[in-house]
Amino acid sequence: MNLALEIIDLHASVGEVEILKGLSLEVPFGQIHAIMGPNGSGKSTLCHVLAGKEVYTVTGQARLDGRDLLGEPTDVRARMGLIQGFQYPVEIRGVKLIDFLREAADESGIEAAEVERRIVASGDQFDMTRFLTRSVNQDLSGGEKKRSEIFQMAILQPKVAILDEIDSGLDIDAVREVAEAVEAMRGPDVGILIITHYSRILRYLTTDRIHVMMEGRIVESGGAELATELEAGGYEALRSRLK
Amino acid sequence: MLDRSIAERRLTGEPAVLAERRQAGLAAFEASAMPTQADERWKYIDLDFTIDDLTLPDVAGAELAAPIGVERVSARVVDGFVSITGDAPGGVRMGTFAELAGDDGELFGRVVAERSDDIFLAGNAAFSGDGLFVQVSRNTVVADPIVIDVQSVSAGTISFPHIAIALDDNAQASVVLLFRSSEAELAVAPVVESTLGSGARLFMTSVQTWGRNTQGLGYQRVRLGRDASMKMGEVGLGGALGRLDLSVDLDGDGSSYLLNGLSFGDGQQVLDYRMVLNHRGRNTSSDVLLKGAVEDQAESIFTGLLRIEEQATNTSAFENNRNLVLSAGAKAQSVPNLEILCDDVVCGHGSTVGPLEEEHLYYLASRGIGRERAERVLVKGFFDEVIDKLPAQAVAGPVRDEVERKFVAAQEAGRLG
Repeated sequence: MNLALEIIDLHASVGEVEILKGLSLEVPFGQIHAIMGPNGSGKSTLCHVLAGKEVYTVTGQARLDGRDLLGEPTDVRARMGLIQGFQYPVEIRGVKLIDFLREAADESGIEAAEVERRIVASGDQFDMTRFLTRSVNQDLSGGEKKRSEIFQMAILQPKVAILDEIDSGLDIDAVREVAEAVEAMRGPDVGILIITHYSRILRYLTTDRIHVMMEGRIVESGGAELATELEAGGYEALRSRLK
Repeated sequence: MLDRSIAERRLTGEPAVLAERRQAGLAAFEASAMPTQADERWKYIDLDFTIDDLTLPDVAGAELAAPIGVERVSARVVDGFVSITGDAPGGVRMGTFAELAGDDGELFGRVVAERSDDIFLAGNAAFSGDGLFVQVSRNTVVADPIVIDVQSVSAGTISFPHIAIALDDNAQASVVLLFRSSEAELAVAPVVESTLGSGARLFMTSVQTWGRNTQGLGYQRVRLGRDASMKMGEVGLGGALGRLDLSVDLDGDGSSYLLNGLSFGDGQQVLDYRMVLNHRGRNTSSDVLLKGAVEDQAESIFTGLLRIEEQATNTSAFENNRNLVLSAGAKAQSVPNLEILCDDVVCGHGSTVGPLEEEHLYYLASRGIGRERAERVLVKGFFDEVIDKLPAQAVAGPVRDEVERKFVAAQEAGRLG
């Protein structure tokens, strides 16, 4: 059985500045993993590098269901099954969410009738039906935007879902809602990686494994107790323990 | 060379108000010259024809094929000559200027302006064929759209269609104006005047698809009475030159004007929009959104002026012009202006000029949408925002198709970027 996502010794730099410094990580199918880390640890860079944003020089390996991701353009990676939920999803005035989803699903070869079925079912599940004929992300609240990202994943059904800063800027009710949406996405054919620098969303979510990222690599992995430790002592305490 | 005797011949036997108007137009025409870029109103375009090289059509030429997207044409104006093509709906009166001027000189004087401030307006007053008049009587709500098909077909001519639309107090109507022409080299300077009485509501959709060798110099003038409102959709796709000079007078207290417009220039097209909105009454509002795309070596110009008079208290006025420049050789100029003489106003204007946003393309790519399709989706979305708001949705389909055709042609020819 392949892993959903397998990252081996990943390095990424912009110009002379190395941001990812030998990061390795495994996310099996059926599991939800979380990466936590302080600001500047390289969490967002990891998202961008996996999604194929073109500004980085990258070495190492990243495989999705056994297939090499690196070197492929962003749209190809998405069609291979890697979908990213953005920290700040961009508003696209004029492009209706429903048209956007139909185009994306069609490009990925999902049959039209199946797309419509998923739109109805997931629109209901994530309470997104009323946003379908509105412009993508436009005038949505922070929580609605995150829900829209997850809704899009429910239509496209990725093998790997990465959610960047999933709970930033959300009030406590929205955090709970988003956590429920992530939990609803869990399934045997998808590996989910959420990225956050607060532990609060982890209270509402059953993560299979938590990874702590500092200075461009994973420094510690563990279970829910790791989040508790971070909540109590912050990243500084963990840093001291690891020394 | 325009044959002046045509004007002389036409005014013989015309009702006095019309004949006088022609005479004044002729005098103004004789005193006018082709505009140059030294003139502020023509600053951004270099006209590459002269009126002296053209002739006046003496009769209507052969009609174009039926237009797409409309079911029934109410009146046709071919080379400036009017034919009423069907029974007018109840409460609607249609006829020629001569008929109106004969029946009701006062009304004629009120809805057909004396305007001869450039050679084309003067030419229109002097040489216009018939002039089409549409009047919707007081308290009448017309359900079906009144479709007016304006065509210019005869090679080497300049024609001067003139349409006056009058909505009496509390009347409501929907008008579709189609501006079309043959592929022959020709010029056309149509004038459309809309006069709305108190509480009248006009929904107008104007679709310009001139032929590729047409110099189109359009004029629209709108006068709004108390609590009158007009919603306008404007589409500019055709012509070697497609110009629209629009002036809106919000005279009546509580009047409002809304415009959603789009243009798409390709090849060497020049699309020139010039708009002046005069807020004169109190509690008036206007909102203008014009979106344009240019590719290849096309050029678009937007010059907008919001003028708020001193007495126009509690005005709300917004104008926005957004431009997509799709090819390196294409050009878009956007010049929004405000002239505010009153301090009790809420006003805003904005303009953008640039390519498709990389951030948007990246978002689409992150969902698996390849570059070509992503560009198409974004351009379609860019225009859908205004196409969805065209008052006559019957023409939305053909407009959307033509915009997509233009874009795909540019994409397939590798002219983007």
